[in-house]
Amino acid sequence: MGAKKVIEVPYVVELPVGPQHPALHEPLLLKAYAEGEEIVKVEINTGYNHRGIEKLAERNNFYRNIFICGRVCGICNTVHANCYTRALEYLLGVEPNNRAKYLRVVAMEFERIHSHMLINAIMAEILGFDSLFMNMMLDRERIMKAKEILTGNRVIGDYMMVGGVRRDVDEVKRDKLIKLLKQLRPRVEYYKKLFIEDETILKRLVDTGLLSRVNATKYSFVGPVARGSNVRIDVRASDKYDAYGDIPWNVITYKEGDSWARMMVRWDETLEAIDMCIYALEHLPSDGNPVPDERRLPRKFPEGESYARVEAQRGELTYYVMSTGGVNPYRVKIRTPSFLNVIHSAILYPGYSIADLPVIFVSLDPCIACMERVAVVDVDEGRRRLVRLKDLAKGVY
Amino acid sequence: MSVIEKLNALKKYFVEEYIIKPNRRVYVFKSEDLKALFQDLIKVFGYENFYVATIVGTDLISEGKIRLDYYVNLLPDEVTVVFRTYLPRENPTIDSLIDIIPGVLSGECETYDLVGVVFRGNEFLKRGFFVPKEFVEQKIYPLRKDVKV
Repeated sequence: MGAKKVIEVPYVVELPVGPQHPALHEPLLLKAYAEGEEIVKVEINTGYNHRGIEKLAERNNFYRNIFICGRVCGICNTVHANCYTRALEYLLGVEPNNRAKYLRVVAMEFERIHSHMLINAIMAEILGFDSLFMNMMLDRERIMKAKEILTGNRVIGDYMMVGGVRRDVDEVKRDKLIKLLKQLRPRVEYYKKLFIEDETILKRLVDTGLLSRVNATKYSFVGPVARGSNVRIDVRASDKYDAYGDIPWNVITYKEGDSWARMMVRWDETLEAIDMCIYALEHLPSDGNPVPDERRLPRKFPEGESYARVEAQRGELTYYVMSTGGVNPYRVKIRTPSFLNVIHSAILYPGYSIADLPVIFVSLDPCIACMERVAVVDVDEGRRRLVRLKDLAKGVY
Repeated sequence: MSVIEKLNALKKYFVEEYIIKPNRRVYVFKSEDLKALFQDLIKVFGYENFYVATIVGTDLISEGKIRLDYYVNLLPDEVTVVFRTYLPRENPTIDSLIDIIPGVLSGECETYDLVGVVFRGNEFLKRGFFVPKEFVEQKIYPLRKDVKV
C-alpha cells in the first residue's frame, strides 16, 4: 500500500542579524532560528571586536587609565570613568569634597537622561514611529547641550579625576543648566504619557519579551531590565556613592516584566534624574574647590585591591582594580551591564514572532544602538506545503 | 536576619575571610567545594535573592596560581561578597556552575577565553568568544601575565 500523505518537517529558518549590519553600531551576531514566524531559538555570538582594554590598562599608569576607561563606551563614559576613579580613590583613601560629589552626580545623571531618551527614541523608530524618534532626538539635544556646558564636551566628557572633577560650574552656567532641565521635563512627561496611552506602542510592547522575577536574578540581568521585572536593585541606593545618599530620589520598579515595563522604567528614571539634577544644582555645596591639584596625587599606588560599582544607564557596572605597589595596575577587570543583559538574553525570544525580535532586543538597551528590521528568508520556493513541528505534534497535517 | 548573618550557614566552606576595599567581604574556599558552596547558597537565599555579578580571573604568575573570584550580590540589601579560590596555573580547571546558575555563562566563557580557566561541564566554552582568530590559532590567553600582545 503506497503512502497517502507525505509529511515534510519544515526547515528551521536561520536569520543572521549582524555582525555587520547598517544599523548595528557594534559588532554582534544574533542568530535567530524561526519556524514560520515563531522564533524557536536565538544564539548570541560575540568575538568580532576585541579591544583589549583590560590588557591595555595593565600597561598604562593608574591615571592614564581614567581616559582609557572613559572610552570603553561613548554613551556612558562618565560612569565608566567615575567607577574606575572611585576604585582608585578606595585604594588611595582619597575622598572628594561634597561639591565635587554633587557635580559628579549631575554629570552621570545627564548621561542617564540622554541615554534613556536615545533608547526610547530608537524603540519608537523600531516600531515605525519615525516622527516620534525625531522629536525625541530633538529634545535630547537640550541635555547634550547641558552636558557640554558642564563637562566641556557633548559625548566624551573626561570629567572625573581622582579626588574630584575637572571643571567647576559658575552661577551663570548653573542657572543655564537648571533652565535647560526645566524645559526638558514637560517634554519627557509628554513622551511618557505617549508610551502609556498610544495604542500602537502598547500593542507592540506589552507582553512582549516577558522576563520573570526569578529569571531576572537567575540569569543575572541588571539595571532597567531587572527593575522592569520587579527586582529592586540599584547601586545608587545600595552603595550610596558620591552624593546619592544626600539627594532625594526613588528606585523605580515595574512588575510587568515585559518590554513595555523596561521602557517605562527608563521614562520614570529620566524624570527622577531631571529632578535629581535640579536638586543637586540648586543645593550645590560650597565646601571648596572641586578640582583637586593633580600634582599632589601620588604616582605610586599602595598595594591592595578595590571593587567599585556604579549604576550605569544600562545597569550595574563594576571595576576591579588590583595594585601591587607600582605605577601601573596589576589587574583591571571591567564588567559592563550589557555583557550580562545581551549575552543572557537568548531566553527572552523563543515563542515570540520575528517582528518582536528587534523590539525585545532594543528593550534591553544593548550597546548596539539599533537592530532595525530583519529579513525573512523564504525557504518555500516550490509549491510544497510545509508543516510546522508544533502542528505535527498536534496531529494537524 | 541580615544577609551576612545568613551567610554563616555556609561557614563550613570558608578557609579564610578578609575585606577588600571599600567594604567587600572576601570568603576563600577550596576549589573542589565550588558546586556544593553555590548549591547551599541557592538553598539559603533562593534564586530570587542573589545573582552572580561577575567572575574575575587573575594570573598570579609569581605564585604559579590563577585566582578566581565570584562576585555575588545578595538581595534585598544588595551586599556584594566575593567567593575566592585558587587554581594551579598549569592546569586551571574547576567545575562549571552553568547547570545550577545560568547567569554565569558570560563570566565563565570570558574567563576561559581570556585567562584559560577550564570550567568542567560548560559545553558553551569556546575560543574566540572575545579574542581574535590569531590568538586562538596561537593558543594564547591574552590576560596571562607572560603573554605579550
